[in-house]
Amino acid sequence: MSLYSSSVKRPVTTILIFVAVVILGLFSLGKLPIDLYPDIDTNTIMVMTTYQGASAEDIEQNLTRPLENTLNSVEHLKHITSNSRENISIITLEFEYGYDIDVLTNNVRDKLDMVSSFLPDDSQTPIIFKFSTDMIPIALISAAANESLPGLYKILDENVANPLARVDGVGSVSIAGAPKREIHIYVDPIKLEAYNVSVETIAALVGAENRNTPGGTFDIGSETYSLRVQGEFSDPQQLAGIVVGSNNGAVVHLSDVARIDDSLQERAQETYTNGSKGAMIIIQKQSGANSVEISNQVGKVLPNIQKNLPADVKLDYIVDTSDNIRNTIASLAETVMYALIFVVIVVFFFLGRWRATIIIVLTIPISLIASFIYLYATGNTLNIVSLSALSISIGMVVDDAIVVLENVTTHIERGADPKQAAVHGTNEVAISVIASTLTLIAVFFPLTLVTGMTGVLFRQLGWMVTIMMIISTTAALSLTPMLCSRMLRLKTKHGNFYKRIYGPIERFLDKLDNGFAWLLNRAVNHRWITSALVLAIFVGSLLLMKFVGSEFFPTSDNSRLGVSLELPIGTRVEIAKEVTQRLYDEWREKYPEIKVLNYTVGQASSDNTWASMQSNGSHIVSMNIRLVNPSERKRSIVEIAGLMREDLKHYPEFKKAQVNVGGSRGGGMSGQNTVNYEIYGYDFTATDSVAQALKRILSNVEGAADINISRSDYQPEYQVDFDREKLAIYGINSSTAANALRSRINGTTASYYREDGDEYDIKVMYEPDRRTSIEDIENITLYNPLGQGIKLKEVGTVVERFNPPTIERKDRERIITVSTVVQNRPMSEIIADAQPEIDKLDMPPGVIVELSGSYEDQQDSFRDLSTLAILIILLVYIVMAAQFESFTYPGIIMSSIMFAFSGIVIILFLTGTNLNIMSMIGAIMLIGIVVKNGIVLIDYITLNRERGLSVRRSVIDGGKSRLRPVLMTSLTTILGMVPMAVGQGEGAEMWRPMGISVIGGLTFSTILTLLFVPTMYTIFAAYGMRRQRKKLRRARAAKKSEKPQSSTI
Amino acid sequence: MKAIFIAFDQAYYERIIEMLGKNGCRGFTAWQEVKGRGSRTGEPHYGTHAWPSMASAMLTVVEDGRVKTILDALHSMDLETPKLGLRAFVLPIEQMI
Repeated sequence: MSLYSSSVKRPVTTILIFVAVVILGLFSLGKLPIDLYPDIDTNTIMVMTTYQGASAEDIEQNLTRPLENTLNSVEHLKHITSNSRENISIITLEFEYGYDIDVLTNNVRDKLDMVSSFLPDDSQTPIIFKFSTDMIPIALISAAANESLPGLYKILDENVANPLARVDGVGSVSIAGAPKREIHIYVDPIKLEAYNVSVETIAALVGAENRNTPGGTFDIGSETYSLRVQGEFSDPQQLAGIVVGSNNGAVVHLSDVARIDDSLQERAQETYTNGSKGAMIIIQKQSGANSVEISNQVGKVLPNIQKNLPADVKLDYIVDTSDNIRNTIASLAETVMYALIFVVIVVFFFLGRWRATIIIVLTIPISLIASFIYLYATGNTLNIVSLSALSISIGMVVDDAIVVLENVTTHIERGADPKQAAVHGTNEVAISVIASTLTLIAVFFPLTLVTGMTGVLFRQLGWMVTIMMIISTTAALSLTPMLCSRMLRLKTKHGNFYKRIYGPIERFLDKLDNGFAWLLNRAVNHRWITSALVLAIFVGSLLLMKFVGSEFFPTSDNSRLGVSLELPIGTRVEIAKEVTQRLYDEWREKYPEIKVLNYTVGQASSDNTWASMQSNGSHIVSMNIRLVNPSERKRSIVEIAGLMREDLKHYPEFKKAQVNVGGSRGGGMSGQNTVNYEIYGYDFTATDSVAQALKRILSNVEGAADINISRSDYQPEYQVDFDREKLAIYGINSSTAANALRSRINGTTASYYREDGDEYDIKVMYEPDRRTSIEDIENITLYNPLGQGIKLKEVGTVVERFNPPTIERKDRERIITVSTVVQNRPMSEIIADAQPEIDKLDMPPGVIVELSGSYEDQQDSFRDLSTLAILIILLVYIVMAAQFESFTYPGIIMSSIMFAFSGIVIILFLTGTNLNIMSMIGAIMLIGIVVKNGIVLIDYITLNRERGLSVRRSVIDGGKSRLRPVLMTSLTTILGMVPMAVGQGEGAEMWRPMGISVIGGLTFSTILTLLFVPTMYTIFAAYGMRRQRKKLRRARAAKKSEKPQSSTI
Repeated sequence: MKAIFIAFDQAYYERIIEMLGKNGCRGFTAWQEVKGRGSRTGEPHYGTHAWPSMASAMLTVVEDGRVKTILDALHSMDLETPKLGLRAFVLPIEQMI
């Protein structure tokens, strides 16, 4: 028994099965976490190797190159980049998307084992890091304080960081901008010399004095006691009393040669939020945890934490990434709701019967909700892609039900009992319903096979739509006939109300039918002119292609700006603070849209996980700006970023300045498009000059903003050149001398001071004002093993030198990247403008310039998607050819794809939208949607011909009777997309191009298909008939000529 | 005894069996899916792409007295929904076992 007859016979079972599906779907929906994008697997592995004392070039030659050569043979490697700087080599391996990172890590480890014996003896074992998007902090919280500022680190560490770290899913919580307590012993070099005490002696003594030592156990009478010496200081000031030596019989105390300073770390990052100093708390999530959930949890805990803090410490969000996710998903959910309403209106408009409308519209929630089961079962999230899939499908899932319902209605109108009509009516169209679903699956299923980054995004889209299509077809073949058999009635009389409301619509639709029949008649009469005209429109639209720009991903407005500023290397942190304060004041005044502005200056301490991963230094300032929500401001984030870039040009203090939309540069899917020119070449000077020339060229290109050269400048530094012979005479070796230097300037950690379970460093070093000039360095006293003091200037000289910068390499060659952000102009135009100038450049031998950045991603993705489009077109052709058992008809129908593409080009041109990944995806979806129109038309025309009508009548009758179904299914899809195309909510920039291209392509293609397909059909049918007639004539002639022959015999 | 051969649109099937039962006619032989078309009017029932509907056929043998009632009932059914199509033919029965 067939699906539809059994479901009509067993209505209870049928309805309960679908109710069960809906309940399961809603249950899954309740459990589904939300996120911005589908899970993107990590594809980057970093290999870090340290080699103390080696210069950048040594590192490159001895570490980076052998490592790169071996690692280059790891499978699925896309790019290998490296950074060789003093003491350290960092190699970044970027793999193709979609491979198991654990397997890749093991492969990398195997390769490292192979090469490790060839590395320099003193280098450390390479360390492997897996970098993932999980490392990007999910929230930055500012802590402002007044009186509590000195103890802020401890307060935040105990009361904020620890409770937050206990929240499920939180990976690490770090505190920036709150320096830790440190106890300094500032020694006066002159007094030291006078008393003949060295820094090393003091450090060793402090270490020896500040110690608790257990002395074992001993018995007194019947008891056993343990013995202990409590040497640890209970107050830092007690350090002053330590005896460090004797002079002329008098005891020398530490206080005689040094000052005890119980304060904060000397060098630390400082954080300013909205102009006032405070700290920043950085929350990173555990790998795989859901940011929105964590952020909800953090949001719940935070008020309690605030209660336990001193009154002057105030916590506030600087960045909460989940805000954007929540808003984006909410606005997309709204879009889906609007799409649903539009589709209901269209269905009612065309059918005019509420019972029929209900039957059809019911398939929407069923198919949509059922897809949540898939999401939940596969551990996916509710994200932009999965919600877009819902929005796209709303218009398509009703199509099958409409076809079934229409045919059942015809049967009822002929007089069949609804039950019989439902079974037979469905039976008649079941094959063509399945075939049209197959064409759509032929489009969406291949999406699940795309590789690369686009694949990560669109795999889910492919699965979701495929599943929804299958479910909607199943519902159309079971639930719809069942409901038809129960709900539809043969009703010829309508009430007055109905007539008043629906009468005009009916009249309009009739007029439309007749008008179209007239137009089609004329088109068929002048079929050659029609075809020529239509083809001319197609070719004409392709010419517009030249004026449509292209980009990678649309820039989305997530209200976050990241600004990174660099002063000349070596600038003191005070200067950086002062300039940044000025910039802050200016921006605050100019941009009222700024909600929170937070910036960090200075060198990060090494125990700050987050800060040490980023570049930092006394001359580097990094800013986080949160704007008010897009709906509350007039200027878009791109406009504001553009203005800020202009402002920064008036600050000559900043050597490099970057304004990054979305928080970080080249962040893949959000943020502005970047164009990177990679200059490959070994010679530093040659590549440097090309980089400068490129920068000049780009700065003249309109729309190229924030031009940056990746290679940093030579870093000025002072070096002490020891004279080895002289050192030998005094009995000192050069590393002893160097260590002595380090302990005087940088300080040595002598011991730890313990208080309330916390440990603080006790550092011994020169008094700050005794280390401010070259003379201070030259006057450092070194001690030889005999205890004799020697001035540094006697054994060495202090010279100023330039340290070569970090050596960057990509794919085993030295490289400099000149990067620029695309602003207010399509990426393709910038490249087109710059290329002729670059071609004119006089390239030094061995230097190659290549394009990368978003451009490379775009090219990769466009190539992938184009291959995909061809594959899809072939599959669709196969499905159609099988359905019609013909090679010609599918060919005719394929012409509607051409019109879809011209429609896209035209609408992109008219709206000034760029061609990007999202509009490409729209175009690919259209392949399946537009051929459905052609299928419906050709199907009915051939049916008419099989019924014995003439070609002309078949075409015109067929066209007229199929006008409404074609318009209806097209309009449901078009109107379903309208909310996407005009959406203004957060994140709308992402899906707008997709909505626009589907609307343009489908509208244009529907109109042209309705005229062109019947016309082409007539041409081909006429040709076929002529051929048949010729054959017939020839056969007759052959017979005639045969007859007389036979008679003669 | 007379045999009535009824050829009709599938949709009539259950109604006809019900009607026969009401008229005290228990026995019948039916072919659920058969093809055919009317001599003058009516859509062909071919089960093809062009003519997707299918017909059924039924042969029932009744006492002579019942023939008229059954034919009348069938005729009224046909008049009610002429677009579906229903024809009945009465044949004599010569022998039976």
